[in-house]
Parts: sequence; structure tokens; C-alpha cells
Amino acid sequence: MAVICPHDVVNMASTMKSNEDLDESGENHEGKHPEGNLLHFEPEVAVESMLVPTDSFESFEQEAPAGSASLQPDSNLLKCQNTEENTPDKVARDTDTNVASRSISELSLVSEECIEHQHVEEELSNSKEWRSQEKHIFILSSAGKPIYSRHGSEDKLVTLFGVMQALVSFIGDDGDTIRSIHTQGTSFLFLIKGPIILACVYKSRESVAQITVQLNYVYSQIVSVLTLEQLTRIFEQRRNYDLRRLLAGAERLIDHLLIALETQPALLLGAVQCLPLVSTTRDAITNVIVSSCNKIKKLVFAILVGGNQLVTLIRMKNFFLHPADLHLILNLVNSSESFKAAESWTPICLPKFSSDGFLHAHVSYLAEDCQACLLLLTVDPDLFFPLSEAKQKIVEKLRRASLLQSINAALAHTGTPVSQLGVPEARHFLYKCKATAQFWGPVPAPPYQTTEGAKRLLDQYRVLHHRLHAPAQPLKLLYLQDNAETMLGWVTTGFELYVAFEPLVTKANAIGAVNKIVRWIKKDDNGLFITNAPTF
Amino acid sequence: MSGADFKVVLLGTEAVGKTSLMKRYVQDRFHPRPHINTIGAAFASKSVSSRGRQFVMGIWDTAGSERYYAMSQLYYRDAKAAVVCFDLSERVTFDRAKQWIIELRNHEEDCKIYLCGTKKDVIEDGTKARAISHEKVLQFSKGIGAVYIETSSKTGESVVELFQLIADNCELPSAKGKEESVKLQLSKKSETCCSAS
Ligand SMILES: Nc1nc2c(ncn2[C@@H]2O[C@H](COP(=O)(O)OP(=O)(O)OP(=O)(O)O)[C@@H](O)[C@H]2O)c(=O)[nH]1
Ligand SMILES: [Mg+2]
Repeated sequence: MAVICPHDVVNMASTMKSNEDLDESGENHEGKHPEGNLLHFEPEVAVESMLVPTDSFESFEQEAPAGSASLQPDSNLLKCQNTEENTPDKVARDTDTNVASRSISELSLVSEECIEHQHVEEELSNSKEWRSQEKHIFILSSAGKPIYSRHGSEDKLVTLFGVMQALVSFIGDDGDTIRSIHTQGTSFLFLIKGPIILACVYKSRESVAQITVQLNYVYSQIVSVLTLEQLTRIFEQRRNYDLRRLLAGAERLIDHLLIALETQPALLLGAVQCLPLVSTTRDAITNVIVSSCNKIKKLVFAILVGGNQLVTLIRMKNFFLHPADLHLILNLVNSSESFKAAESWTPICLPKFSSDGFLHAHVSYLAEDCQACLLLLTVDPDLFFPLSEAKQKIVEKLRRASLLQSINAALAHTGTPVSQLGVPEARHFLYKCKATAQFWGPVPAPPYQTTEGAKRLLDQYRVLHHRLHAPAQPLKLLYLQDNAETMLGWVTTGFELYVAFEPLVTKANAIGAVNKIVRWIKKDDNGLFITNAPTF
Repeated sequence: MSGADFKVVLLGTEAVGKTSLMKRYVQDRFHPRPHINTIGAAFASKSVSSRGRQFVMGIWDTAGSERYYAMSQLYYRDAKAAVVCFDLSERVTFDRAKQWIIELRNHEEDCKIYLCGTKKDVIEDGTKARAISHEKVLQFSKGIGAVYIETSSKTGESVVELFQLIADNCELPSAKGKEESVKLQLSKKSETCCSAS
């Protein structure tokens, strides 16, 4: 085991360079204030939203609130100098309230050898493939017991887990909290959550704030299967407990969540995508569910999802679903083949809703010939059969009204390509409606339809997102040009828009395109967003 | 409301083959595939006929993952029969089955226990060795008044037989009770009728 000396740890905050790549390659432009040309719009939103509205990074309690709300309406296109956004990483907020106030900021291991040495001892960590992974996620108990590793079996990484635990406790001994270590090309980020330590080792361009959000998601996935109450109790009783026993089978949920984080914009945006449906159709589906369930007391949420998209969500009055919880629900549905086989009845904890208790979920696919999944969530453990009956009724009514067909048609639709919008300059975009925590984007077209292309695009969105929401200096508008594409990000009080353009687009054309996009989104016959907030 | 006339619960360690057993019985199908954990519990019903009676059997296929143990009462409560499964080739699953049985005995006195050794085909084709002798398990189950049966969801061996046995052994207290009370009311009514006339 390498000994970590205090001398190895230096404060690197001033020399941090999280955005170096972008700044080097990106041409940054000053521009005239385009706001006057831009339409102010967001889809008409009911006073109350079915989902808790989100600003990015707001999804978890201690994360940085986005500053967009406090922005002056007429801020200019901001210059992107090399240094200005380099501070946000300081935001690595400690989420463990016990130690938050005593936290130190950035740390860096000068001698990489400390970590390097460990690899010699271990087969797995020596493997080239394992080492070349862009991003590792590790979970361990505060006693150093392995819980999870994204790549490779955690069993074979015992020494590495030991080092991580040593790092955390060494710094913790002084009343400080380790947050991150930055070396050339690789960063290490730690998140301490009660009895659990989550760590990310990454070479990607993601920011500390973004990685923190991801680790928080992983943590809430664990809470979702165990409840915070159980998690805390177990480690209080036995500090040395091997949590893998209780997580058996749930690693798949964590794997799946991490893949979603790596490949989809939804979690980055803290928003969900809706299955596009004409609003009268969606309302009809909603009404069928409401009318079939209205006699059932203690039904908190009815959620219909299909193809990782939300069809409708009905809630008990005065109860709201947080998008972070909805993402956990979507993750559960997407990663659980077993729901397809039979009607299920499962406990689920929604950390944002209540981290200490389980809700009971009746989960079933609508029909053999309609692969949308219905979840009926209640606090009453005896409600399975009433819910099962309600589900039968729902399906019958939907079938009679040909609504199953409508859902199928929407599910079969491959998505709208950006070419259909008449904005040739734009290659892709993401539009997030803040009030409803929903987003929409066209199907990826070349050059983004390949795995690498899609990954690069998402990376670009991440950079844009990170800079726009940099807590130290949030931006309203950002225009970045490099040789692969030109990216434009725009945050208003109502929406966030991220657009990828041809690299050589002119600013005037880009702004024209943005206007067209926003106008197109505004047409409410698209059915891209759920704008009401139905209740039972 | 119960959704079925008769409640059966499947219990046992993860991957012993509960879901496969239910699928073989309800759909008469088996797909060899890597293990997919059941989440919480799955419900299926099947109408059965036994001893001249026609009724609906509701089957709860529970998840064997350890984190659900604390909640298993939620699933076996009021069950009239429990199929406690273990993998014939895995000793630990038998030990765990014994624990289920103790728990059931403590909480559900009226629940008939069927001890089920699964994946018999694997033993028979020699892929894996039997972990506990047939005699030992038989002796154990006799001792606790349970029925012992060995099944294969792959070949279908003894699967229908197991559930048929459960159906044959079952009493339908609620249905009978209902019938009786209806009869009683009827006769009462006619009595009053008579006395009035
Ligand atoms: N050869 C053979 N394989 C079987 C048999 N029954 C189940 N399996 C296999 O064993 C594995 C586990 O089966 P499941 O039915 O999913 O196990 P389970 O008890 O429901 O597991 P949990 O839901 O996690 O509690 C699967 O790969 C099945 O294909 C059997 O009779 N013969
Ligand atoms: Mg199963």
C-alpha cells in the first residue's frame, strides 16, 4: 500500500483546467446581442406541473442551483476566455452535511505513483483494457468493503478499494473531506454519503459538478432499492457489512443507469422525454386511467411509459414527482426484463419523494400487442388486486377507444429528423422546458447517428451545459465554434436550448435557425410536451 | 378482493428456478436463458379443476434476492400453499429452504408446504451432481409434514403434477363459506316465507 503523505497533496485549484480542450480548439466569438431576434417562448404550461420543475443540477439537494433565474434579461453573448469558467469545479459540493462545513477544496496527487503502485499487485487493474476505460465508477463502504465497480469485478480490486478508503479516511481524520484529485489527464472524484463512498476516475471532459450529479444518481439508485433507513441501519449495526448481499441483482440497475448517463441527455438535463402524441389523444389516455382508478384511495402516481418516454403521469393532489425519481423509475423499467413476463408487485423507494420508505408499485405492460408499461404506485401494501383490476379496465377501455393503436403508432414512429424542421444549418438540438422538466430533440442524423458521433455530440452538449450552468458564472447564451461543429446554448427563464450547427455557420444564420426551432417547438400540434398536470 | 380463490406462493433462494416453474405451469413454456432476477414478485393466475371443483389458483412468484427477505411476509401472507424451492445441486439453497419453512410455520399455520427440488434434468444428464440425497430430503419433509417433489421446468417433469397435487389438497374455505352462507340465507328466507304464509 502506498502511503499518502500530506506533501503529495497540493492545492491545485488555481491551475485547474477543466475546459482547456474546448478553449484551445474552440473559437469564441463575441457577438451582437441577439436576444431581440429570439422569440420568447415555452410551451404553454399549466400553473402546476406534474413533474417538479428543474433547473439543471438542481436535482439533488446540495447541488448548485442554476443561476439563470437571477440573470438580467439582456445579458450579452459572453466571451469565452480561457479562465473564466474554470472555477465551477470548485463547486464540488460536499453532500454529506456532517462534514460539509469542514471541507477542503481541490486536491491533487502530485505523485501519480501512489495509485500506480497498486496496479502492480492486481491482475485486473493491470489489464490494458481495464486501464483504458474512459471512466470508472467505484462504490465502497466507509470500512473499505467493495460494493460495486463499473468495469471488472470489484472482487479483483480489493487493494484499489483499500487505497480509496485510505485516502478518504486519511483526509477525513483531519476533519476535512476529500473531494477530488486532478492529475494530468485523469481526475478522481469522491462523494461520501453516510456509510457509502462513491468514486469516479475519469479522463473525460466532464466537469466536477456533472460527475457529482452522476454519483448522486448512482447513490439514489441504491437508496431506491434499499431505502435510506435500511442503508443507515445496516451499517450502524455492522460497519463491516458486505452490502453486495443486499444489492444482488441490483448491480444491473446501476450498470444500466451509468450507461444511460453516458449515452443519453435526459439525466444531464434533469428532464424526461415524452412520447409525442396529439394532445387530445394523450388527454383521452389520461382520462381512461383517471376514470378507472378514481375509486382507489391511496394511489399516489399512475405512470405510463413507452420506449423510455413518458406517455402520461397522473398524481394524487398535492403530491409531485421529481424528475430524478422518474428517471429511477424509467431505469427500473428499462433494465427489468422480468416485468414483461408477468404482472409485478414490487417495493420501490423514490428518494426525492421519501427516502425512508417504500412505495408499492403495480407494474405491467399494457398488452402483448402494446409494449407500454404502466406503473401504479401506492402506499398501501394491500392494493395489488384492486390495482390489477383497474389495470384490466384501463386496457379494455384503451383498446375500445383505439388508443392502444395510437400508442403503438407513436412508439413505432422513428422520430422526427431535424431536416423536417426546415433549418438546414442545424444538425441537432435539445430543447428543455424548465417548468415541466421535459425535453425534446430530433432523431440523430449524420454525423451523429454513429456511436462515436452520438458520443461526441453528447460531449459537446455536456461542455455547453457545464459552461452555461457554471455556478460561479452562469451564462445565458454561449456560442462555441470549433472545427467539428458550432454549438449554441441559450438559457432563458422558461427553457434551455442547445444546438449543434455546421462548423462554418454564420452567426446570423445560427440565430435565424434558433428562432425557427423555437417557433417550431411552439406549435402545439407536435404533442412533444405534456402541458397539463392531471390528478386523480 | 383476492383475484383468485386460492393463494399459492413460490419461495426460495435466487436462481433456484421459481419463475421458470411458474412459467412452465402457467404457459407450459421454458426458455433456456441466463438468469433474470424477479423484481419484487410476479403474479399469475390459472384456472384449475380438481375433484369436481373449478377454481382459480393465484400464484405469487417471489424474488429470491436477499433484500426482499425482510418483506417476504407481504407476499406469503394468507397463502394456503407454499412451494419452497431449492436447487438439487446447490446445498445452500436447501439450507435456505429450511429457513423459509420455519418462517412459514411460525407465521402461516394453515399454509401447506410443498418442498420442491428443482432442475432435475441437470442432475439426470450428469451436468451437475446432486447436493443432498433424495432420502435425506424426503425424511426431512416427512418430519415436518411437507410434501416433497422433484421437478424440471426444462423437461416439464412433475410440474403439472405438483400444482395438481396442490389443487387436490386444497380446501376452498372462502368459497365454501360463501356457498354455505348463501344456502343458509336462502333457507332462512324460505322459512320466513313459510311461517308468514
Ligand atoms: N436446466 C434447467 N435450468 C433451469 C430450470 N429451471 C430454471 N432454470 C434456469 O435457472 C436460472 C434461474 O431460473 P429462474 O426461474 O429465473 O430463477 P428464480 O428462482 O425465479 O430466481 P429469482 O427470481 O432471482 O429469485 C435460469 O437461467 C433458468 O433458465 C430447470 O428445470 N432446468
Ligand atoms: Mg424469479
